[in-house]
This record gives sequence, structure tokens and C-alpha cells, in this order.
Amino acid sequence: MNKSGFHTWEFVPHQHQGPAAHTGEDDHIHSPGKHNGAFKSRGLATFMGAPYCPPDRDAIRRMGAKICFLGVPWDQGQMVRAGTSQGPSGIREASTQYFPYMFEFDVDLMTFFRPVDCGDVPTVPGNNERSHEYIYQYVTECLEGGAKVILCGGDHSVPIPGSRALSDFHRDGRIGYLHVDCHLDSAPDWEGSPYTNCSGPARAFDLPNCDGGNMAHMCSRNGLNPKDWVDFWIDNKVRMIPMQEVVDRGIEVCSKEIFDIAWDGTDGVYWSWDTDSIDASCMPGTTAPETFGLKPREVIKHARIAGTYGADIFEISELTPHFDVSDMSIKLACCMIYQYLGSRARTLLDQGKSP
Amino acid sequence: MNPAKNFEHLFSPLGDPENFKTLGVVTFLRSPQVSMEADALKDSGARFAFMGIPYDEGNVGKPGCEEGPQAFRVASHEYFPYWFEYQVDLEGSCVDCGNVRIPKVMPQLAHDRIYRAVREVLASDMVPVICGGDHSISISAAKALSDHIGENRKMGYLYFGAHLEMADSWAGEKMASPCTLARISELPNVDTANMGHVGARNSMNPKDHVELARERGIRFHSMDEALDRGLETVISEAGGQVWDGTDAQYLSFNMNIMDASAAPGVTAPEPGGFESREMMQTANLLGRMGSASIIEISDLAPVFDVSGTTSKLAACIVLRLMASMAKQRGEFVDQGIRRTDLR
Repeated sequence: MNKSGFHTWEFVPHQHQGPAAHTGEDDHIHSPGKHNGAFKSRGLATFMGAPYCPPDRDAIRRMGAKICFLGVPWDQGQMVRAGTSQGPSGIREASTQYFPYMFEFDVDLMTFFRPVDCGDVPTVPGNNERSHEYIYQYVTECLEGGAKVILCGGDHSVPIPGSRALSDFHRDGRIGYLHVDCHLDSAPDWEGSPYTNCSGPARAFDLPNCDGGNMAHMCSRNGLNPKDWVDFWIDNKVRMIPMQEVVDRGIEVCSKEIFDIAWDGTDGVYWSWDTDSIDASCMPGTTAPETFGLKPREVIKHARIAGTYGADIFEISELTPHFDVSDMSIKLACCMIYQYLGSRARTLLDQGKSP
Repeated sequence: MNPAKNFEHLFSPLGDPENFKTLGVVTFLRSPQVSMEADALKDSGARFAFMGIPYDEGNVGKPGCEEGPQAFRVASHEYFPYWFEYQVDLEGSCVDCGNVRIPKVMPQLAHDRIYRAVREVLASDMVPVICGGDHSISISAAKALSDHIGENRKMGYLYFGAHLEMADSWAGEKMASPCTLARISELPNVDTANMGHVGARNSMNPKDHVELARERGIRFHSMDEALDRGLETVISEAGGQVWDGTDAQYLSFNMNIMDASAAPGVTAPEPGGFESREMMQTANLLGRMGSASIIEISDLAPVFDVSGTTSKLAACIVLRLMASMAKQRGEFVDQGIRRTDLR
């Protein structure tokens, strides 16, 4: 907060503070000068070391932030094993191992997007509906603040309030919805509840301005896909690309196809990426690890293709750091976001656009 | 090949008390222990001298690669010296000269000892097979090779890793692992055109690293390029740079070249890297060069490993490289050899 009481976007690398402070332009994209800097001696654990911004539309606007990182420490909307409430902190932790500079795209994510970390959404233990209401409200603040959202779950019930927020944000237009997951998640309900992590796409389909023709899924596989989930995609004529088809046709073609569907005549896109879409060998730190999934180089390709299209909300879910091995899962999840943002920045720069 | 050689080691255990699971003294591939002295090493008649360098004070991220050499040795015990794919026998080709004694909190002294140890081994005309430790050990080991061959001869340096390591300095330090390739590019008999780098990816490659690499004319092949153009093309190209007109070649493998899923036991696991089979292919391609002056593995961190997979992969890379080189030199096992007790 500045002296007038307003928050302004000011990125101060942690190494610029304290008695051993050193300052230099672009310190955050260069090797540290005087000491190990924010690389190991971090300041407050924010995503990418970005400034904190209150989850408030006016504060976000005043800061001119174009990306809001919003955590959702919620794992009571799911029916497998708990632990994904620690997902957001896992990604923040992994981001301390990366610089905001990406040599593959020659972009500085920090100065290009002016990202902020809006902290975590408050949740209500034992009450999925009330927690979802908070998620809806906080996502809405970020969108109304003029930013795109990196929404980090939390279990895969998060897209239910998340896509509702995007639907209302574009109430006069249409939205697309993408679901990348090893599960189809299209249960009409689960034991009577329509709002668990099994029903993301089903609830998106219910939204007034989300047409099935602008929805798509990819990466489904194996035996946690009951018949009523499959029937949803077939009966509603919604495009569903199972993992075998991804393997047969290639990640590039399939990724482009689903983004083309989502952006066909729409005003915004909700892109939901469940970490269990990734092969269990590369993503042990997820709620329901599943074999026969995406490998990291395909993950990176998918993220980069997404970056050429963009999305209003990019949600990562089911990351579960306490099942992780040697940080490989949190680092891959973080890498997904960085590769997406790197590709997005390069795309916009090449088009002469700002974020 | 030595005609007096005993060939029992080529076969299933024959009832000798030294059975497959009895570790005994843990040396690289159960090879003899030889002290780190040029004369003693020369007398061994071997080609490769394994040396551990348990140093990780050049590391800027997760610690843990001090334990690399020991885990590497243990993993090597799960292999025979006979490699059927290449029809070669590595028995007698290597010795283990133990670990370099590394002091704590005295990095300059540590580097000095690394330098002297590698020079001593090189003086015996053997190929040091080094297991780190973090990658900064390469700074002193490469300097040792550079001084060993003298300024009138040229050397090349080939690196496999996720990070460019081209920081002029890191936190004011010149000998930290992110500075490794920058220091090596400054050696008097290293022409940067003879440096190769394969596998750089993701966001632990700050801007100054890329700029310094370009400024010094180091042609690096990023992981993207390796995938786009094919591993074989890229490795041949990078290898070509390193062997082109050089008298000595340093091969350095940071275990973070591997995808994090293939090698969790590293200091900085990085998504999107090599798969195991690609590394096997790499070892075969490099082995075709027939020889190298130093082979080095770094950043093996067993504490983060799962089921010993990373240590085993590290040992497998080195042994396949040695086997592939032996094949290239035509050092084949006599195909007529059989167990005598079955006749």
C-alpha cells in the first residue's frame, strides 16, 4: 500500500530489501548479484514472487494486474483421497525454483503480465456449497478487476463455481469450457450431490451461455468413468477425445481442436486442467494418479498451444504435494503455468498486443 | 586381451562365496581399489579410474548430491561387467580410486583438491570416471584436463543438462554450479566452438545465461530443438562440435538432463527432459567416438530417489558408454567361451 492508502503494482524483488539489499534493474531475470537472492531466500511465498494484491476488483484494477493467481485450498468436494487443499502452496513453493524469464520465448513474465497473487479463497470445512459460493465471489472479483485468472485448486469441484463466475462475467455473451482430465467428470450427480468433483462439465453444460458446441474434453482413460459419464458426452453431442485418440492423433492436433471449439464464437473460455491427465509416473502428487496419461513433453506442448489461444481462467486442480516425489509434480504443475504464460506473452507480443 | 584372464565372472554365480548379493568392499563395478596415485594407477593396466567427488557446496538449490558417489557404486553392483548388447567385457578395464577428500565450508580448498586428484589420474593416462557432487566440480576437473594436455592442444566439452550454467557469477561467486560452463569457456585451450550443450529447458535459465552463451558463441541445443529435429541429429551435431579438431573431450552428464519422472533423485528435477531409452541411445551414439578423456556424472541426489532408479540409471549410462566405446574399439568377448563345468 502506498502513502495515500492505495495499492499500486510494485514488484520489489526480495533481494532488494534488508541490510544486504542490492538493487539492479531486471534483477529478477538475471543471476543473483550479491547473494542467492529470492532463488533460495524467498520473501513471502507468493506465486512467482509476484506482489500480493487483495482479492478486490478495485485493488486489482488500480494495480493494473493482468494475471491474478488465486488459490483454492479445498478438498472436500472430491470422493477419492484428500490432500489437494495443499495444492496452491505447492505451486507457490515450486515457483521459487524458477525465474520469471523464459528463454524459449525470450519474455519476462513479470513485467509483461504484471501478475499478482491474490492469496487463497476462504473455505468452510464440511460445507461444499458455502465454499463454492466464496470461490464464485473471489473469482468474480479477479475477472471484474480486469485480469485473467490462474486458479489453483483444490479439487475438481472448483470449476463448478469457477465457470459460473465466468458465465456471469460474460452474461451478455457466450463462453467455452475445456476439460482436460483422465476422468470424464460428467456425473449428473454423485449420491445425489450435483456439485462434487465428478460433475464439472455437467454443471458447465447447465450454464445459460455455455453451449455444448463450445465444450470439449480430452485425455480420458481407464476404469473410473462410469457409463452415465460417457453417455453425457455422446447424448449431448459434446466433443470428447479419449487418451487413446490423443496418442493416435498427437497432442498438437487434439489440443488445437479443443481450443478451436472453445473459442468458436465465444467471448471467453474456461480451461480446466486436472493434474491426473498426466501420467502417474510424472505426476505422483495428484489425488487419483492414473497410468497411460500425458508425458511432460506433451504437457508442455499442450500448455504452449493453449498460450496461442488464451483463456480467461486457467484452472489447475487435484495437485497433492504430500504424495509428491522429489518435487516433480509441483514443479511440473508450475511449469505448465509458466509455459502457458510464456507462450501467451510471445503470442501477444508477436501480434503487437498487450495482455 | 589378456590370455591368462579368468572368465568365471562372465557367468552365473558358480558357488564361490563372493556371490552376486555379497557386497564386500563397495567399489565401482566391483573393480579393484587403487590409490589415487599416477604410478599405482598405471600399474593397474586399466583404462578407466572411477573417482567420487562428494561436493555440493556449489549447489544453489536442493542439497543432497554429496551422497551420489556411494549410491552410484552400490547401483553398479547390480550389473555384470559383461554387456551382451555390445558383446564386450568391462572386467579389468576399470579401477576405483575412492573419493576425493572434501573439506567442509572451504570451497577453494575443495576445488584445489579436486583439481589435483583429477590431474593425478590423468597423469596415469587413464580416463577419470567422475561421480559428483554438484556440477561445479566440472570447473576444476576441466581445468585439470586443460592443464594436463597443455596449451598447444585443444579440448572440447560436451554437457547434457537442463540448465545453461552460463552465469558469469552467481551471488558474487564465480565457482557456483550455475557458473560452470562460463568458467569452462574461459579455459585457454577451449574454443567455444568445441563446446556442446544439449537439453536446456524451462525457467531456471536466467537471461544473462542465454546472453553470455550467445556472446561467447556457444551453440547450445535446447530440449525443444532436440525434440523438433530429433535426438540423433542434435547429438551428432553437438558431438561433432566437441570432437572437431580436439585432442581431448570431456563428457558431462547432469542427471537433470533426464525427465523428472525418469530420474527423481536429482538436486533440481526438471520436467520435459530425456526419457531413459533416449539416454541409452545417447550413450550408444557417443560411444561410437571410441573414447573420451573424462566422463562425469553430477547432481545425483539419492535422498530424493525412488527405489534406486536414478542411481541405477546413472550407473547404466556410464557402463553403456564404456561398453559402447569398447565395442567401437573392437574389444569383443570371444564368442566361443563357455562354462567349463558344463562340458
